Amino acid sequence: MKLKLLPKLMMSLTILGIVLTLSLAFFGYHNTKSYLEDMYEYRVTFGAKSIAAMLDLDDVRTILAPGGDQTEAYRRTSALLNQLKREGGISFLSLVSNDADSVTFYIDCNVPEMGDDPADEMPYGTDVLYTDAANGEEDLRKYYDIWECYANGQAVDPPAVTDNSYGYNYTVVAPILDENGRTIAAIQYILDMHDMREHLNSYLYSTLTIALVVVGLSVVAYIMFIRKTVTQPIGRLAEFAKNVTTAGQFNTQGIELKTGDEIEALGNSFNFMLLELDHYIHDLTTMTAEKERISAELDVATHIQSSMLPCIFPAFPERGEFDIYATMNPAKEVGGDFYDFFMVDERHLAIVMADVSGKGVPAALFMVIGKTLIKDHTQSGTDLGSVFSEVNDLLCESNSEGLFITAFEGVLDLMTGEFTFVNAGHEIPFIAKSGEPFAPYKIQAGFVLAGMEEMNYRCGSLNLAPGDKIFQYTDGVTEATDANEQLYGMERLEAVLNRNTGKKPEELLPLIKADIDAFVGEAPQFDDITMLCLEFKHYMRNRSSQPQAD
Amino acid sequence: MNIKLVKRPPSGVELRLEGRLDTSSAPAAQEAFLKVAGEYAQIELNFTELAYVSSAGLRALLVLQKQVNKTGGSLVLTHVSPAIMEVFEMTGFSGILNIQP
Repeated sequence: MKLKLLPKLMMSLTILGIVLTLSLAFFGYHNTKSYLEDMYEYRVTFGAKSIAAMLDLDDVRTILAPGGDQTEAYRRTSALLNQLKREGGISFLSLVSNDADSVTFYIDCNVPEMGDDPADEMPYGTDVLYTDAANGEEDLRKYYDIWECYANGQAVDPPAVTDNSYGYNYTVVAPILDENGRTIAAIQYILDMHDMREHLNSYLYSTLTIALVVVGLSVVAYIMFIRKTVTQPIGRLAEFAKNVTTAGQFNTQGIELKTGDEIEALGNSFNFMLLELDHYIHDLTTMTAEKERISAELDVATHIQSSMLPCIFPAFPERGEFDIYATMNPAKEVGGDFYDFFMVDERHLAIVMADVSGKGVPAALFMVIGKTLIKDHTQSGTDLGSVFSEVNDLLCESNSEGLFITAFEGVLDLMTGEFTFVNAGHEIPFIAKSGEPFAPYKIQAGFVLAGMEEMNYRCGSLNLAPGDKIFQYTDGVTEATDANEQLYGMERLEAVLNRNTGKKPEELLPLIKADIDAFVGEAPQFDDITMLCLEFKHYMRNRSSQPQAD
Repeated sequence: MNIKLVKRPPSGVELRLEGRLDTSSAPAAQEAFLKVAGEYAQIELNFTELAYVSSAGLRALLVLQKQVNKTGGSLVLTHVSPAIMEVFEMTGFSGILNIQP
């Protein structure tokens, strides 16, 4: 990680340093160059004009006249110009007169102390053609410009800049005017700019070198500083984080960063986070295990609950007198519906259908108590009303949660066909006489079980003949709800029952369930759906096996 | 569901129940019932706007009735619709609740 962050930083810093150095150096170079050029231009122009103005017109005329080089004026003027050249550091200083195509030298200063070669001196009257002197077209044009200025009586301003075999020169030709303002001759003042150029170049090189060295050293020093204070600690943190995540071990020792800045704070936060994460994972593991345990126990509870209901059919294969079938389709969680059937004695069959208010574990536990109590109290020869009264009182004792049970119990005497029943707030059964349709059988309902103590339940009775059927159910059937919040209802139930009057109990219940499913469609099931159907087939014949008769 | 509370001075109160008293609304309703039972002696439950009572709702009513019995107050149900009356009759609640037309 630190191998990636650091080169990025180095690269960007180096680029920044180079850009900074170059821009500073070239700005300084151009600034100095233009200032120096201004100064030299001024010096050349001013010098040429001054010299042209200081010469005596008569002396000049004398010099220009034929044989002028043998005169006292020539000697005097030449000495003056040579002195000026020496003291002014002028590269070339001459008294000339220009023509349209050539320049004639009258005095050409030559100062051996300044390194001038005496052989280079232009002898008096030397005429040099512009085309000979010029080095190329551009140069030639400058000579013509000079001639134009000369002819107009003007000094060349700014100086003509030539860079040729005569060197890198600033040239000003300042005219010497007579009383009428006409040019009679000119001072040609040339300054070699080679030194200035050298100076500028060395300035540029030294600036660049110094700046590069300084910037380079700064970058290196800064990188080392950054490496020590930033990238190394961050690299350590990154390495640490990588190790932690790779190993998946969050309870390891934390990282120690002693930088005394935000990185140390980051490290500390990271350590804190690791600690918290470890706690969370620990908590989560515990909670998940707990949840799984509860879920597994609930599964077991559901299994126990459903296995408490008689579910092997045919339930009494040896008893031909009746046929019984029951189903329970639980909703999602353990619920409170239950059915039961059992032989009270040889000739009495009991059926129970009940629904505990509420859902979940409390309802399931209450259901177990209720089912056990009812079965336990249903004894041979006991009035069903008193069975429910006793069960009710017992349930009230153990009912701190305010639960209650709606329950229906009936006992069929297989010998006589008498069906005694008791109803504690439960749905009324459907009864079909042999060959007739199912019809709801109105029963006066008692209060729900476990609702209130010391309630009295009254037992009722009716007579069943062979071929008669009883259908009992819980509200999960009639209150099955479709996607439009429509209830399945008694009418639909009665209709499906009567479409299937001829069916045996084990055929009838699946048909009803299918009809409910078709009605409900995709809507979720909220309540247990529990149904029981009993068909009385024929009277019990073997009376001799009965120990007693009612 | 909604419960509107109308005071009937000096110690009475009328609760107007609206909507469905089912599994989802019963716990809150029961809490409201018990709070009212602690503050008022005569309670009237007005069922005019109540559409449905489930077994969870019955349980809430039963808890309230028991509480009222314990404190010696009175509980009256009024304007009970035929559908809900059928539920009360089928479950035997009509025998323990004071239902007035």
